[in-house]
Amino acid sequence: MEPEVVEAELVLPTCLSFKKIQMHEKYPKGQSRGRQWKHLKQILQAENFQNGSPDEPNYINIESPPSMHPPMRICDMTGFEAPYSDPRTNLRYANTDVFKMVRSLPPEYVQRYLALRNAAVVLK
Amino acid sequence: MAELLFETYGVPAIAYGVDAAFSYKYNQRHGICHKDGFAICPGFSTTHFIPFLDGEPVYKGCCRTNIGGYHVTDYLKQLLSLKYPYHMARLTWEKVEDLKMEHCYVAPDYASEARLFQEGTKEADDKIRSWQLPWTPPPAEERPSEEERARKAAIKERQGQRLREMAEAKRSSRINELENELHGLEFLLQQLEQVEGDNVPSFLKTTGYVSKQEIESSISKVTQSLRKAKGEPKSDLAETDEKTDSSANEKYPLVNIPDNLLSPEQLKEKRRQLFLKTTSDGRQRAKQKRFEVELERERKSQQDEERRLENPKLYLEQLHAKYKEISVRVEQRKRLKTNGGHTNGNNASGGVGRGERLNAAQRERMRLLTTAAFDRGKGEDTFGAKDEDWQLYKLMSKDNDDDDEGQDDEEAEMNRISSRLQELDPSFIPKPDLGTLQPAADMPKFRPHTKEDYQIVLGVERFRCPEILFHPNLIGIDQAGLDEMAGVSIRRLPSRCEELENRLTSSILMTGGSCLLPGMAERLEAGIRMIRPCGSPINVVRALDPVLDAWRGASVYASALHFPEQTFSRLDYYEKGEDWLRRYQLQYTL
Repeated sequence: MEPEVVEAELVLPTCLSFKKIQMHEKYPKGQSRGRQWKHLKQILQAENFQNGSPDEPNYINIESPPSMHPPMRICDMTGFEAPYSDPRTNLRYANTDVFKMVRSLPPEYVQRYLALRNAAVVLK
Repeated sequence: MAELLFETYGVPAIAYGVDAAFSYKYNQRHGICHKDGFAICPGFSTTHFIPFLDGEPVYKGCCRTNIGGYHVTDYLKQLLSLKYPYHMARLTWEKVEDLKMEHCYVAPDYASEARLFQEGTKEADDKIRSWQLPWTPPPAEERPSEEERARKAAIKERQGQRLREMAEAKRSSRINELENELHGLEFLLQQLEQVEGDNVPSFLKTTGYVSKQEIESSISKVTQSLRKAKGEPKSDLAETDEKTDSSANEKYPLVNIPDNLLSPEQLKEKRRQLFLKTTSDGRQRAKQKRFEVELERERKSQQDEERRLENPKLYLEQLHAKYKEISVRVEQRKRLKTNGGHTNGNNASGGVGRGERLNAAQRERMRLLTTAAFDRGKGEDTFGAKDEDWQLYKLMSKDNDDDDEGQDDEEAEMNRISSRLQELDPSFIPKPDLGTLQPAADMPKFRPHTKEDYQIVLGVERFRCPEILFHPNLIGIDQAGLDEMAGVSIRRLPSRCEELENRLTSSILMTGGSCLLPGMAERLEAGIRMIRPCGSPINVVRALDPVLDAWRGASVYASALHFPEQTFSRLDYYEKGEDWLRRYQLQYTL
């Protein structure tokens, strides 16, 4: 590496004095890095929360339960209260003007509006 | 985490704590909240609700909803980019975050607030904010100044002069050339006359001509083109046309003589003359007609002018209206041609594939053909039992594009009006030709962009986005909202007594970044009041600094004398292992 780049501290130096085990010791060159990012789900699974006592609070069981309030329905486009929903697109709408807009939307936009409230058709 | 800290970094001791708890303790020190109470912490990606008893968090009563500031910003970003597809590039995450911080607020009651906007009241209008994107007005088409015009005219004049000179030079050179050729040919002819009979073919061979006639004909051709080049009046042909009226009888003397008086040759001659006469008559008539049309147009424009002079304003208005009407008609027809009828509004959305390629008539024909093809296979064939059935073939045949002429007429009319409007009204801009059909959303592209097109208007969005914290189901998360979490948390407490609950709810501390939204405290209070028994004390306060109090609390905690007793040291780690850390919990009260 060019000395001026190192000097400017643009990149992390290979040797950090405050680290007991340096990066190159842990992951020798040529060897594939043993590090992978884990998703939250994988970490949770690895923690084996199910095995602990159910009374003890942990990450999973402090989660809020589903809401008991009646779900609020608002117009997908304008945000007004939506008494109606369009059977063709499944979009909720507030009045006839919005309905006209709903019907003139290209399908891509319909899906994007639906995706906003996690109701879009997901192709797997 | 512990492994990394101890083994790689050699940390002597660590202590883990909950950010909301540190924030609560810090605010408790400053007398914002009591030792019993709730901490509500809407963070970036999650929201926590933690009850405190005697200054210690009760983890059993905690609850978490997976919604936070990230979702609010994301929702706002999505909504705006759906509303303004053209400005998608401008709506960066950072910008939207700024917009959220600056303009979003929590509505005291979503439904009534939304109704305000729906009815378009004055109050709502005041609440609408708009963000003006950088916009430069299109260069105004100002009239060129006097000198500019003079300069342009001069340039044009000069160019014209040059062109004329060039044409003149070309013409003279051509005349020269032709004259030379003529002289050459005449000389050749003279030579030919001098040459004796037998030698003619051999002489001709050297000149490249086959016979004397050819030379003569080429001479006549050259003379003709010479005449033309010199700009002499186009000899007799044009003149005869003028004279025909008077001299018809003289020219065609045989026409009026009965057949039986003529010899066969004369008959032939007569037929020729007849033919000539009819053609020339036809020409005459066409000329007459053209002249009349010209006259008619002249008269019309004169009338137009008169009407304009009578009432210029009204006239202009009428012209505008007419232009509009015709242009609409033409457009419609074009659209019909390219994409069939717009009977249902959905067509614009589905305008993909077949619809774009076939026009209405073609599509109808296609339909008929396919139904006919399908009917073939079905049992009984009753085709032809009724007379109307045969009409089908007429429809199927291709020649039903008959409305073209009408369209051409209308287009011509439109052009005429638009040119007239242009000379009368300097502000008039003819509508650009909508060649192909565009979906409705693209329509604004065609009119010149205005300042308003570059505005991002935040109306309902201002309180719609924060609303998802209270109603996570709006973005499809099926969990309790902020206000409901209080009830959940209270229900989860191990020991329940009303006195304790009242004590808890009278000190609710809001911390975390999303608490900065204005109106949050009022809304929370109202929401919690709804789920609490009537008359219970409810007090919602905001942390001193919702964003940084957790850090301050932790730093105060770490600098306390008793802090080392609460830590988890490296020795502990090596002796008891990582799993022991699970059971480790620090005391927030020192």
